[in-house]
Amino acid sequence: MSQRITIALNGEEQPLPPDSSVGDLLSILGSDGKSVAVVVNDAIIRPENRSTHQLQQGDRVELLIFAGGG
Amino acid sequence: MDVLKLGSYTFSSRLILGTGKFSNSRVMLEAVRASGAQLVTVALRRFNRQQAEDDLFGPLSSIEGITLMPNTSGASTAAEAVRAAHIARELSGSPFIKVEIHPNPQHLMPDPIETFEAARILAKEGFLVMPYIAADPVLAKRLEEVGCASVMPLGSAIGSGQGLATSEMLNIIIRESTIPVIVDAGLRSPSEAAHAMEMGCEAVLVNSAVAAAGNPPVMAEAFAEAVAAGRKAFMAGLMEKSGSAVATSPLTFLGTY
Repeated sequence: MSQRITIALNGEEQPLPPDSSVGDLLSILGSDGKSVAVVVNDAIIRPENRSTHQLQQGDRVELLIFAGGG
Repeated sequence: MDVLKLGSYTFSSRLILGTGKFSNSRVMLEAVRASGAQLVTVALRRFNRQQAEDDLFGPLSSIEGITLMPNTSGASTAAEAVRAAHIARELSGSPFIKVEIHPNPQHLMPDPIETFEAARILAKEGFLVMPYIAADPVLAKRLEEVGCASVMPLGSAIGSGQGLATSEMLNIIIRESTIPVIVDAGLRSPSEAAHAMEMGCEAVLVNSAVAAAGNPPVMAEAFAEAVAAGRKAFMAGLMEKSGSAVATSPLTFLGTY
């Protein structure tokens, strides 16, 4: 089995199996992804592209949701 | 019918509610329902596996007639606010964005230069830009000129409950503006909201006043009634003030004036 990769998830290191997609990452985190915005290296990854967008070693991934705010 | 017009959107409610600082999301949702608000603000936050239940998109979307207005809170530059707006639009599908750029957590006063720049860019991109600003008539005019959907000057500092401390400047902004003026921040009581509406504001945005009330849903309802009453009074036209007494009853029956 090939080496795991490490991404920066919301600023913290997150190991992942190689060839993981954005969709795989969301599954690992237990999110259905419906109300989560995904940003990889400053680019927004739309829902229709999440299963095909493969994450690379060192990618900066941000997951954002709506929370209370005024 | 008297409606609030923002871009191509119309709203019968003139109360905009913020969703921060509530003790829990159940109370917040009750308050949103009780307020009758049709435009509700939300903030972007990093997803946290442990706090997944904090996500408000689903619960808020389930309330009929609600349009989300995400804010750019957390941004301290125009570039960060533009980036936040893009992400927020992706999530909400709403064209509304409350541009909120306050670099100093001590007073939370909005940065006029970064706010202007972010608003200019986002309005050009087709967002319905609702900038949170100090009560500055010159800045308000400049924001109108670059295509903002409204201006949202503060009544007083965010969360301070100091009311309409800026009313003199608000009056100038209202008089000069051709886009809706919405008082955002600082209100504490429904009477202040009614006052803002009587002055000619097109709407008010409250959050802390409801969230930090003893009974938030009831306070939300009180604000809704006050905003409606204030609007009605504005539309009816307030009487002119007089420097001296003007009798409402005949003075000739018994008296010998």
